[in-house]
Amino acid sequence: MSDKMNQDSVICVCGLKKHYKGGVIKALDGVNAEIKRGEVVVVIGPSGSGKSTFLRSLNMLEIPSEGQIFVNGVDIAGKGVNINEHRQKMGMVFQHFNLFPHMTILKNMTIAPTTLLKKSREEAEKKAMELLEVVGLSDRALAYPSQLSGGQKQRIAIVRALCMEPDVMLFDEPTSALDPEMVGEVLDVMKKLAKQGMTMIVVTHEMGFAREVADRVIFMDAGVIVEEGTPTEIFDNPKSERLQGFLAKVL
Amino acid sequence: MQAWFADFKADFKLNFIDAARWKWLVEGLGNTLKITFFSLLIGLVLGIVVAAVRSTYDKNQEAMAKHKGVGYYVFAVVNAVCKLYLTVIRGTPVVVQLLIMYFIIFATSRNDVLIATIAFGINSGAYVAEILRGGIMSIDNGQFEAGRSLGFNYVQTMIYIIIPQVFKSVLPTLCNEFIVLLKETSVAGYVGVVDLTKAGDLIRGRTFSAFMPLIAVALIYLVLVVVLTSLVGVLERRLRRSER
Repeated sequence: MSDKMNQDSVICVCGLKKHYKGGVIKALDGVNAEIKRGEVVVVIGPSGSGKSTFLRSLNMLEIPSEGQIFVNGVDIAGKGVNINEHRQKMGMVFQHFNLFPHMTILKNMTIAPTTLLKKSREEAEKKAMELLEVVGLSDRALAYPSQLSGGQKQRIAIVRALCMEPDVMLFDEPTSALDPEMVGEVLDVMKKLAKQGMTMIVVTHEMGFAREVADRVIFMDAGVIVEEGTPTEIFDNPKSERLQGFLAKVL
Repeated sequence: MQAWFADFKADFKLNFIDAARWKWLVEGLGNTLKITFFSLLIGLVLGIVVAAVRSTYDKNQEAMAKHKGVGYYVFAVVNAVCKLYLTVIRGTPVVVQLLIMYFIIFATSRNDVLIATIAFGINSGAYVAEILRGGIMSIDNGQFEAGRSLGFNYVQTMIYIIIPQVFKSVLPTLCNEFIVLLKETSVAGYVGVVDLTKAGDLIRGRTFSAFMPLIAVALIYLVLVVVLTSLVGVLERRLRRSER
């Protein structure tokens, strides 16, 4: 499979299945996808369609029942793979932020680089402060997560992942738990990141963001990819009935 | 009133001063504290080990079951042993466990304080294990996932992210378990240990005067527990202050 892979593809998913309760519930039922370097892919679909499961499988937070996930040519679902090394290169942003409540913002951002990448504290803090500057939160470096608003927390969560200098960023509904007025500030950070050429896979309900930022949109339903294409193809010219029905509901 | 006071004095003298009976109470208190302290240590070590096994198994079962190696089966057996330990210890009275220890398992030894310490330690370990496991399970799974997604392995995630949060939340409960343990050791007399309770009872047997020695014993326990409780209170307040 890896030889078939295009040279600039970062992730290649092959026949990915995730079954619960002995196959009664099929969260993923044979997903094939390829993500190229620098590409911004947005995954949309109704709730329960398996889009979050798909995203979480990409760094093995969900363990697939079947199928292969090649990351830089290595099947991370296979035996004897050091998944921790792969996760260091794959940032993840969660719906509920999951900042560490017992650490300051700065500590949240430096704990992984200092422990895992063996960076010095000064080096890690310098990098963290640079990133905080970018998201406009450098004055909150010594605050605790509980002192921040939802939008601020999510921006911190994004830069915390960036501190590990990942190749790929995964976003699992990053704005779904936010008050509406805070959605914009998080999306702005993500747009900046996309412009810098980061490879991004985003599960979201923000259709405006998908249309504006995505290179490619994937529509999932009932555990499979039903349709994929450029934002124009997906939003202006949907082919499948299921996508037409979905768009009619959300737009 | 004066007559009552004279009676009280005589009673006090009879129970504590005559034949230096107060020394029994001192010896008993010493044994109670010794048993409590060392069984607390045993319980803590056992509890940490069992809680680590149980929660690690629960959290990683799916990942391990995917590629069934030898380690998976060893782990499954160890986990089953831990579960059995919890069931047996929490399902039987501590007095029965103490008697079994003394008359069956260590039937050849007559070092009663040591045997009592081991029995109470093993008993306490089961409760400590469940307190700790409850603490670990109460932490939002998102914290685990955030740690793992940054590239921390399971143990690192535990050490840097989960345990510090668990520690705060279980400390008061853990301290209460130790207060319970202190009072539970009062049944050590069943196997001939002269602990605080037994000492009071021995005095009662000699003097045929129940009031003085038993109330004295009760007061000593009460003072110990009140002191411990207030220490826990100070600790709790300090922890609350550090978390914002």
